[in-house]
Amino acid sequence: MHEELIIGGFGGQGVLFIGRLLAEAAFREGHEVVFMPSYGAEKRGGTVWCHVTISDEEIGSLFITKPTMAIAMNSASLIKLEPMMKPESLLVVNQSLAPQEISRADIQVVSVPANDLAAELGDSSVSNLVALGALLAGRPVVPLASLTTALEGMPAKNKELLQLNKRALEVGYTRAQKDAVPHGRR
Amino acid sequence: MPKKILMAGNIAIAEGAILAGCQAYFGYPITPQNELLEHMAKRMPEEGRVFVQTESELAAISMLYGAAAAGCRAMTSTSSPGFSLQQEGISYMAGAELPAVLVNVMRGGPGLGNIGGAQGDYFQATKGGGHGDYRLINLAPASAQEMMDLTMLAFELADKYRNPVVLLTDGFLGQAMEPVIIRQPVTELPDKPWAITGAAGRPKNVINSFEMEPANFQPRVSLLLQKFERIKQNEVRYQGIHLDDASLVIVAYGSASRSALTALKMARQKGLRVGLLRPITLFPFPYQILADLAQKVSDFLVAELSSGQFIEDVKLAVGLDKRVELASQYGGVPLAPETILETIERMSKVTIGR
Repeated sequence: MHEELIIGGFGGQGVLFIGRLLAEAAFREGHEVVFMPSYGAEKRGGTVWCHVTISDEEIGSLFITKPTMAIAMNSASLIKLEPMMKPESLLVVNQSLAPQEISRADIQVVSVPANDLAAELGDSSVSNLVALGALLAGRPVVPLASLTTALEGMPAKNKELLQLNKRALEVGYTRAQKDAVPHGRR
Repeated sequence: MPKKILMAGNIAIAEGAILAGCQAYFGYPITPQNELLEHMAKRMPEEGRVFVQTESELAAISMLYGAAAAGCRAMTSTSSPGFSLQQEGISYMAGAELPAVLVNVMRGGPGLGNIGGAQGDYFQATKGGGHGDYRLINLAPASAQEMMDLTMLAFELADKYRNPVVLLTDGFLGQAMEPVIIRQPVTELPDKPWAITGAAGRPKNVINSFEMEPANFQPRVSLLLQKFERIKQNEVRYQGIHLDDASLVIVAYGSASRSALTALKMARQKGLRVGLLRPITLFPFPYQILADLAQKVSDFLVAELSSGQFIEDVKLAVGLDKRVELASQYGGVPLAPETILETIERMSKVTIGR
């Protein structure tokens, strides 16, 4: 396996959290992993990204230029990510905040209204986990169970939040499985 | 079984220092090495060791001088602008033959630059940096694992040669998280009979970097130079990948070597016989290794995150009759494997046409 994932969004959406979470899960599954966060003067509302490479070989570059997978948590990151995607790659779009048309016909797009689904769970701040769940439905890089195990090892404010995070993952996963109509053209 | 965990490079340096028996840390915050200082702030007191967040980088290097003179395993860490501020103290430490570990998590420069990763402090770190005739041992990690391992080696070499050792790395490697196997702690630290530990019952020790008479000082510098020769003889370290059949060799260190590795794999898939030579020690530089390679290879490609510093040492090693080209980014921007690959392909085409 060799997958290169970029996650983009704005500060406060939990972009780094889900990247780190997937990296932890993949590491525990025995893969080579690099988690490269953006760092600097990021703040709530500013642009944030992270690169996660998962491989069964020694990983070279710390950065990704042609992702095999991506999550666009907002409109600005979708604009940047769409042209970068490798042919046949998987692009997960948070439809709640990135409703625009996608023109690439050579990639698989999974759209989920992550914020709306998270709000239905009672807290729109778990939209990141909804999107990550959708990614996993589109491409099972790690088993869903290994993500929930990794989640338990991450710092969480309280038990309720941990449960909410787990539910958000499952909701995103289930929704994407149900609607996984690979719509390259829309 | 040893513990293996996902760890950021900066944290791996901090934990490596603790495993190596670092007794005192002095530092002043600067991005992109802050996680290192932060981690030391938490961990050193836990271990019953000294952590001081100093009022400036100058204070940090001066405290380091003091701790090293007193025989402690000690360290400071900073990023490029802070490393510039420390040069005076580093020169004094080299002159006084004080062992210590200096971490420079390089960022974009010159000036205040930016917080992106870079390798623009190559000359400064490997050729001395401060005034006078001296060199620093330079170790260049290329992964989170090496951040830990080479930090531990840095303490060992510093004590072995009574010389400051630089761990020269960059912001990208500092921030990136990778699996790290936690090494066994060093349990026995070397004796330092030269250290200032109180002279009761023994002749006094003197630590300084000064002689009134130039004629008296020259022999001291000569001793330093002899030491640097011993280091060159004994401490060259490097990694070679696919060098056996290579017709073109990429030379790169640190995070640039990671981009180079990906470029190498891409080139090999296209049937191009590309190898990679990665110096792990930048001083001593693997001149002889490269010179030997140049006996059978005539094309070299240098990949660096600076605008042509590291390439000077490669050219010195392989000679003027070899083709040495540069693929670089600088000022805090990562080097894409595709950029290196383009240069490889261009060089390969010209070779075929020759």
